Amino acid sequence: MSVALGATPEPGVPQSSGRLARFRLIPRVETYPKIVAFSQTIAGKLVLLALFGLGLSYYGDDWQLTIACLALIAFLPSRRRMLVTFSTLLSAFVFQWKNSSHPLYFIVIISLVCVLGGLLFWSAVLRPRSWFGRRPILFLLCGYAAFVVFASYFPRGSRYYQLIWDFTYILTTYVWFIGYSLLDRNAPDRDDFGLQLGTYRPFWGSTNTPFVKGAGYLRRIEARDAEQLAVTQLKGLKLLVWSILLSLFLDAFNRCIYVSLRFPTIPNALYLSANHRPLPWYACWASLIAQFFYQIISLSVLGHRIVACCRMAGFNALRNTYRPLSSRTVAEFFNRYFFYFKELLVDFFFYPTFLRYFKKHRKLRLIAAIFAAACFGNAFFHFARDLDFIQNLGLARALAGYQVYLFYCAVLAAAISISQLRHRGPAQTGFIRGQLWPSFLVALFYCLLDVFGSSDRSFPLTEHFRFFAQLFHFTL
Amino acid sequence: MDDMAEIREFLRKLLALRGDRQPFSDTSSFFLSGRLGSVDAVELVVLLEERFGIDFAEVGFDQSNIDSIEAIRSLLQSVRAAE
Repeated sequence: MSVALGATPEPGVPQSSGRLARFRLIPRVETYPKIVAFSQTIAGKLVLLALFGLGLSYYGDDWQLTIACLALIAFLPSRRRMLVTFSTLLSAFVFQWKNSSHPLYFIVIISLVCVLGGLLFWSAVLRPRSWFGRRPILFLLCGYAAFVVFASYFPRGSRYYQLIWDFTYILTTYVWFIGYSLLDRNAPDRDDFGLQLGTYRPFWGSTNTPFVKGAGYLRRIEARDAEQLAVTQLKGLKLLVWSILLSLFLDAFNRCIYVSLRFPTIPNALYLSANHRPLPWYACWASLIAQFFYQIISLSVLGHRIVACCRMAGFNALRNTYRPLSSRTVAEFFNRYFFYFKELLVDFFFYPTFLRYFKKHRKLRLIAAIFAAACFGNAFFHFARDLDFIQNLGLARALAGYQVYLFYCAVLAAAISISQLRHRGPAQTGFIRGQLWPSFLVALFYCLLDVFGSSDRSFPLTEHFRFFAQLFHFTL
Repeated sequence: MDDMAEIREFLRKLLALRGDRQPFSDTSSFFLSGRLGSVDAVELVVLLEERFGIDFAEVGFDQSNIDSIEAIRSLLQSVRAAE
């Protein structure tokens, strides 16, 4: 099944025909037949790669290796998936070699984690009716959580203490990627493990959240012919340019807001508040709003760069962040702000809950699934991601200090539940009532929620509430 | 109204709720292309469960199986064949 490449809309994009909506800062070069035709020639591919390399060099980190891998894939499209695996392994090992004090040691650990992923994948494929074969994700996540608990209680002075923790850290960076390959186990056109391996922290970049999901998704968004490849690559180049423009804007934003105007950061404002030297209410608002915009822009820069590389490799992936401020509901913002994290929560927590439990109770079913994803899944992901707190504070204290982010997750899940349970009718008409006002309310909600969006455990929940009250000129 | 016509109409309404009035064919992608989101997928899942008796907890859920009219037709055929 192919995806229409030329006019692929982004996540949740209403089709608008307004003049403003049609305006493009970067022209839609992928719709120009001459450019698409040129991009299919050897000279065109070289020009595209050169321009893309120039763009990547702006970011400065390991761009030569990435562009070499992309060039290999661009000229051997029939071997694309195999080359993605090769490039992914190469970049993982080269990264360790360049950045680690004990590269061989970490390469062995990464290899062990990949072998573990392979064993789990083959077990699920070969024994689909076994308990593990039917619930591999549950097994993976419970096993992973048990291993984190084991590591947290491992004697600190022990000979294998560092090895156990290094393995846990590396496993944490791969666990969701292994999960996606397990989700692919029953697909009729399932890839073998060699190709699945190419999606384990792929060479185009990733955080602990898999960009861009797993092998099943890659198969469906892969360019099928030279024209689709050219269109996808042109879209990749455009996205990279957009990422650079946003990055330049972010630099200017930082200089203007935090250097020239000296806006306080949220951690600073919280610190002053906790020490009974609170900032005036307008300064609290200023720091909150500045952080809100900073987060959106910086996540856009990161996501666009990664998705641009993925597109350049011939996969027409959706953007990670797409016009979040135009969202008219809380759920829509969550989808538009961090698409691949939302997909992770949906794939690993929402659907398994929704499809299994409370099937006779429509509303309860939806609420349970939303809480499983936006509350439990979200909290689980971030708790496991920040392993250094568990290692340094111990499991019990790390969990106790997690109260602020748990509160954040619970409020987020409640708000998404309400947003989803409200009647979905036709949108209000008019720009102000139909678009501006709902978008403003959604942005305001997320902006305020950001007061509790910290997982760094610096201050207890009460201090975050104190800061929240100061926004409205109250003193607690 | 036959099964596929009912599904087509349902998808048309879901798209309209998102302001998308573009035409679609039986092979048009809804979810992988981003025209519909996971919230819409949930509504489609509920329709397929209630109207056609599909138990996704049993048959396994993969969004690509409901990504187009054609994919849904294949899903319905395979479920009915297995019954």
